[in-house]
Amino acid sequence: MKRINGHPLDRREFLKLGLGAATLLAAGAGSPGIAARTAGRSAAGPKVIILGMDGLDFGFMRRWMDEGKLPTFRKLAEAGGFAPLRTSDPPQSPVAWANFITGTNPGGHGIYDFIHRDPSQQTDPNNFVVFSATATEAAKRNLKIGNYVFPLSGGKVRNLIQGKAFWQLLEDGGVPSTIFKIPANYPPVGSKQRTFVGMGTPDLLGTYGQFNYYTTVPSEIAPDVSGGWVHQVYVIGNRVDTKIPGPVNSFRKDQPDTAVDVRVDIDPVHPVARISVQGQEFLLREKEWSDWKKIRFGLIPTQSVGGIVLFYLKQVHPEFKLYVTPINVDPSDPALPLSTPESYSRELAAKFGPFFTKGLPADTHALDADVLDEDEFLAMDDRILRESLEMFDYELARFNDGLLFYYISSTDQRQHMFYRFLDPLSPVYDPGQAARYGTVVESIYREMDVLLAKALAAADRDTVVITMSDHGFSPFRRTFNLNTWLKANGYHALINERRMTEDTLFTNTDWSRTRAYGVGLNTLYINERGRESEGIVAPGAEKDALVREIARKLEEAVDPKTGERPILHAHVGRDIYSGQSVDHCPDIVLGFNRGSRISWSSPMGTFSKDIFGDNTEKWSGDHMGASEVVPGILFANRPIRAEHPALYDLTASLLALYGIDQPKELVGKPVF
Amino acid sequence: MNIVNAALSGFFDLLLSPLRSANPWIPMAVISLLTGFLMLGIYRAVSDQDGILKVKSCIKAHLLELRLFKNDLGVSLRAQGRILVANLRYIGYAFKPLLVMIIPVMLILIQLNDWFGSRPLAVGESALVKAELAEGFSPLETDFRLEAPAGLVLETEPLRVEEDREVNWRIRAAAPGVHELVLRWGGASAAKKVVVGDGRLARVSTARVRTNVWREISHPGERALPGDGPVTTLEVRYPERRLDLFGMGVHWLVAYFVLSLVLGFAFKGLFKVTI
Repeated sequence: MKRINGHPLDRREFLKLGLGAATLLAAGAGSPGIAARTAGRSAAGPKVIILGMDGLDFGFMRRWMDEGKLPTFRKLAEAGGFAPLRTSDPPQSPVAWANFITGTNPGGHGIYDFIHRDPSQQTDPNNFVVFSATATEAAKRNLKIGNYVFPLSGGKVRNLIQGKAFWQLLEDGGVPSTIFKIPANYPPVGSKQRTFVGMGTPDLLGTYGQFNYYTTVPSEIAPDVSGGWVHQVYVIGNRVDTKIPGPVNSFRKDQPDTAVDVRVDIDPVHPVARISVQGQEFLLREKEWSDWKKIRFGLIPTQSVGGIVLFYLKQVHPEFKLYVTPINVDPSDPALPLSTPESYSRELAAKFGPFFTKGLPADTHALDADVLDEDEFLAMDDRILRESLEMFDYELARFNDGLLFYYISSTDQRQHMFYRFLDPLSPVYDPGQAARYGTVVESIYREMDVLLAKALAAADRDTVVITMSDHGFSPFRRTFNLNTWLKANGYHALINERRMTEDTLFTNTDWSRTRAYGVGLNTLYINERGRESEGIVAPGAEKDALVREIARKLEEAVDPKTGERPILHAHVGRDIYSGQSVDHCPDIVLGFNRGSRISWSSPMGTFSKDIFGDNTEKWSGDHMGASEVVPGILFANRPIRAEHPALYDLTASLLALYGIDQPKELVGKPVF
Repeated sequence: MNIVNAALSGFFDLLLSPLRSANPWIPMAVISLLTGFLMLGIYRAVSDQDGILKVKSCIKAHLLELRLFKNDLGVSLRAQGRILVANLRYIGYAFKPLLVMIIPVMLILIQLNDWFGSRPLAVGESALVKAELAEGFSPLETDFRLEAPAGLVLETEPLRVEEDREVNWRIRAAAPGVHELVLRWGGASAAKKVVVGDGRLARVSTARVRTNVWREISHPGERALPGDGPVTTLEVRYPERRLDLFGMGVHWLVAYFVLSLVLGFAFKGLFKVTI
């Protein structure tokens, strides 16, 4: 999965959209009506266990299997089947998982990238660039009394994936399913099946995760840290007083930010601190994580919204440093929809206590910003993994019918952040650190080997066990700013050339002279008249010719430093997609070469001085390549007969296993 | 005070210990039933039963008057006035037994808080330990050391908060049982019980306090700390206990009052009490 680094949507606007509904949902003004689980039904077909291990790479898998480091995978490959799994175009997690969920390509499910654009809002920077998978609407009718706003109708969070999810099709066929944290299922689609949301689930602020970091070191204060806030604090009389910022208060006209007070007392000598927040007091030693702590943000006297956080006491002396995770939605009292049935979330919370609910819980932003170091990040991700494995044991133990899908995110996150230690060509390769962290990626593959062994041990002879990933990985060494390239080639014009690198969200774009623009990580759009509100390129022949011309030139582009083509394929959207949503597809879809990826700033409409650059971030592995560059993996305990299985073929396979007719919209074919 | 506390605690321990393994609602129901009986007994013995009966009849009569003469404004107003006066008389009759009941109820509540307010630590669970100091003592000037016995692990060095005159530590439960922490300073020491449980109901004394009548009454589980020492309170922050009712956590106080009221009313005929 890829985050949007550097230039997030304007926070306030996002929160207005996101948490307006969130606070309303917390107030009970709107919640999806979800019926009880498909319980007690008996499936007609076999039992099926699918382990979704995000980002497991075919190349790494092959290598470590051959080296004898993954004995269970190897055994399964020999006894059943092992094949590279064709990913989506582009191979982004929400796109790829949506392929699997719906059994269609992006033309069918309508998710083309992490980020889409609304062509009718071209001149409104806050509404032009939007997230692709969910939309949040605040309450439409409100009662305003003085400075207070009381919603008269519920807000809505919508899942924008088109088409039916496979567990909905299985439900129609009477097959009970448990779908745990599958990505792109937020909010959860209406179903009687037991499902828990996955990647795409926001934190309590409605974002993909905002950490808080409190430090007394002035040089650490950075106003523009992506995915977090760095607060300067002062130790006065061995005490630090600060706040954890919360969601905006949608019950007030001026929508102020909410916050909870935090008091930290530190011992004058010993490396230990006492943290007091909302009546909870606990001691932490330096370099120690807390348990989950519940916090509530007051909105109006009768309404509040709650979440859960972990504290990490990074340092006490001589400087004070405290990290607080993004505020996860509390599964025992969810302010946002987390599961179907709604009680499933509370059931898990009662069994396991609070747990990570944010879509991708590992805080890669904090590692990138040096707020957490590698060990600290791994400690957090290890906690995520243990929590996940514990829940897997629980689900596996009670799995006796139908389908169990279980998702693991650590495989993806560790490869994103630790690929640099496997790649001597990485601009941030450090041999010393590589000696220390060079086995982190391998170790998560080994962990998955153990997990697979557990699933196989629990499976009887008739149980089908499938292990899959949505894509593989490749090194991310060089960046390519698509918008800067478009400008350099005369397809994009700016109002003020001198402000070229300063503005974001196309606020400096002269649309009257712009013919193409890039939004998102792999997608390019023509500024088409009649579709874009400021469009200038005539649809039809003029646009088609322009699309072909730009695609050809992109494929011919060469990185002057490496002498390699950064883009292997520039697919014309309509050539590769089919289905009900194809009218909204991007005009060109980029498939990057191994080692290259879109720059950090281009996806949100920001220009850089140079088209190419070194990727100096810790986020050093990625999967925005051409689909053949980053295939995923497919293992099964039965022979795989398909020659080049794809993600959507697995959907067809599932239906076939249960003897359910394949709807005509599905494009896949059974692989077994 | 230590003797009173010991006697009361002994009585409740005797009463509740056989029910430790039962669902906590059962001992709660037993205590509520006994409390209901006690309240009925006190009410009957202390209150003016004839007076209460008379005033209740009077209220009923005036309510009937209100209904019969609803078209006569003068009669209705007079009746309402008399109902008000009768109500005040009724409250007056109830005041005396309520006043008498306050003392036993308060003592029962204090005892119940030890049993139902907190739960013992589970093995592996951590808790905050606090030593609060008297005015004039600084946690930075005296070396306070906490010693943990086998069964408990001392997890942190002391955290001294001068502003609050406190020293804090964190302990972790390692084995079930009733363990004793020892706090040492200078040549003196004080012990504090820590209960590590197996999930069953148990008396949990959250704090050991310095000699002071009210504070001692409210913390009956352990002997008072010496009155001349620097430590006023030695406290362990146990997790709160809630009574499970169909997945909802009910505070013991709510459960106790509802149950004892319901049971009290249910058995008032048996005790021939007019309330």
